[in-house]
Amino acid sequence: MSARLNYAVAAPGAIKAQYGVHLYLEGCGLPMTLQELVFLRVSQINGCAYCLDMHAKALRKDGEGQQRLDAVAGWREAHGLFSARERAALAWAEALTLVAETRQVADAIYDEVKAQFGDRELVDLTLAICSINSWNRLAVGFARGPEPDEQSRKAAAA
Amino acid sequence: MSTRLDWAAAAPGARKAQYGVHLYLESCGLPKALVLLIDLRVSQINGCAFCLDMHANGLREAGESQQRLDCLAGWREAHGLFSVREQAALAWAEALTRVADMRQVPDAIYAAAKAQFSDRELADLTLAICSINSWNRLAVGFGKAPVPDAESERAAAA
Repeated sequence: MSARLNYAVAAPGAIKAQYGVHLYLEGCGLPMTLQELVFLRVSQINGCAYCLDMHAKALRKDGEGQQRLDAVAGWREAHGLFSARERAALAWAEALTLVAETRQVADAIYDEVKAQFGDRELVDLTLAICSINSWNRLAVGFARGPEPDEQSRKAAAA
Repeated sequence: MSTRLDWAAAAPGARKAQYGVHLYLESCGLPKALVLLIDLRVSQINGCAFCLDMHANGLREAGESQQRLDCLAGWREAHGLFSVREQAALAWAEALTRVADMRQVPDAIYAAAKAQFSDRELADLTLAICSINSWNRLAVGFGKAPVPDAESERAAAA
């Protein structure tokens, strides 16, 4: 539910255009679990509850372990939970998401991710990071929050 | 020129998907000059020199005054240079671009933008903000910088 305007209703063409990026990402060959992990981490940074709810559910549905979901916000300290490839992708995602603060992406972060991904994979991963940053801005900008489930509703009302 | 990999060559499909958003924005009816002003301001925040060069040139070609370009980064203090509608769009663009810092967009900024734009225009404007944030991340992430012109080259070598 959204406390502001419903952007998908207001501008269906805009959503269709952004959805084109999503469709490309689904078919590009980059493992969806990796993409979903990145979506979750970027949504944590941007504080997008709607996307957090959606992507945590998607990861669980794909069989992702709850421990990794619980620890992804602290992946740097979660030794043995994430592969070198995932860690490189998460560092790249964080750096790009925080670009307004840092205004550059350090060579060391680029080198690390370049060593783990092919050129095309790396661009696809980068587009995935751009894409979730866009969805986060749409949802946060238009105050689109997750639908509280039964348990959440009870807890929030207590 | 790019100091890292040429992302458009490495993943043409990724570029095409993101370009689909650009094509939508070109035809959605939002004034081109407004979108370019937003592109320029967001690129200033993200420190994307490639996009700054491109969009400043684009604005000048479209007949934008140099004074407005010079003062854009300080638009809040540039009384009489930007319309109320432009100011509302700029504040909305800044808030969305900095969402990783603030993790929300204040109601006052939303209300000011909502008062100046129709629902569809506001959703389109938001997609434009998401789009330039994506191009910025692609350019900064892959170290894509503007080609120095003769004057810049001489000054940098002095």
